Amino acid sequence: MAELTERVARIRSWQVVGLAVVSIILLSCAGGVPTERLQAEVVIENPQPKPSFTLTDTSGAPYDFAERTKGKVTLLYFGYTFCPDICPVHLAQIAETIQTDPTLGRNLEVVFVSVDPARDTPEVIRSYLNSFSSRFVGLTGTADELRVAQEAAGVPVAVMRGEGTGYAVDHAAWVIAYGPDGLNHANYPFGTRQVVWANDLRVLTAIAAVGE
Amino acid sequence: MIGLVFAGCAPTGEIPNVTNARIGQPTGVNGALYLTAHAYGQGDRLISARTTVARDVELHETVINADGTATMRGAASFELPARGSLTLEPGGYHLMLFEVDRLEVGDLVEVTLIWENAGEMTTTAVVVDPAETIIEEGENHDHD
Repeated sequence: MAELTERVARIRSWQVVGLAVVSIILLSCAGGVPTERLQAEVVIENPQPKPSFTLTDTSGAPYDFAERTKGKVTLLYFGYTFCPDICPVHLAQIAETIQTDPTLGRNLEVVFVSVDPARDTPEVIRSYLNSFSSRFVGLTGTADELRVAQEAAGVPVAVMRGEGTGYAVDHAAWVIAYGPDGLNHANYPFGTRQVVWANDLRVLTAIAAVGE
Repeated sequence: MIGLVFAGCAPTGEIPNVTNARIGQPTGVNGALYLTAHAYGQGDRLISARTTVARDVELHETVINADGTATMRGAASFELPARGSLTLEPGGYHLMLFEVDRLEVGDLVEVTLIWENAGEMTTTAVVVDPAETIIEEGENHDHD
């Protein structure tokens, strides 16, 4: 046990050294290509372009995902507001990360797509997202439009489970991150901590937009 | 430490020690309650719970499937092993609070837990930011 604690302490001290080194590197090439690595659990080796789909935002207007998020760091998440467990934790972790360092939110779009169109009206989604950030974008659509969006984003299509009004929805539990270059660089499974978000939003922000 | 108060039927088992009872501030219709229970001797089984701040409370389990999707399903009971712990945490077990009241961070909520052997016990859960429902190792959300 003591040995384990010692090992953890040793790893932690190396992390501190690592962070310092990384900070120096970042400072020395600010504005350039990121030299810092993403800490996401799933870093995509061969990133693919952002999917193209149009859904309806919480004001009732059409939202062309690829067009509206062009040139921005974009976090895309499929969930539903009746979910009490993993959805609010994901969104709250992201919201708190941005609150702690508002510079990370300057070129960021967080897009929550509800996969529960029967219960999640635009008003319900707006009120839910406002608990985290009034800047988070909420989208809905018909069952067909939502299926198309999920397929385009490469996530399994959500499935209703259970009966009556208390049903649950099985849905992709990870957040997809796109850089300003419009490519999906990483996936963040449930349990991603703020320290990882803070690091990775900084790294993603530093990726140059296409054509810049 | 949380004070434990007996209520209701006569318990036949040792009362589990419940810590870190917490509710993520509800952001929608439903909420989730998390806690840790320890058994110093014999084990027990959490079979239900109730609170005045929700229409109904159910035992739920979130499972992350092999394809990365999350499934939420009801559970009949949560097992507290002898001389062991039962952990309710995001992404695992939780007490699902259906149609939960509007709660503010810092609110204290009384919850009755019903154990198969120990019977009913009342504990106090604190309302925390949803981001704070995940407890880092060594962290403690208990209030005095």
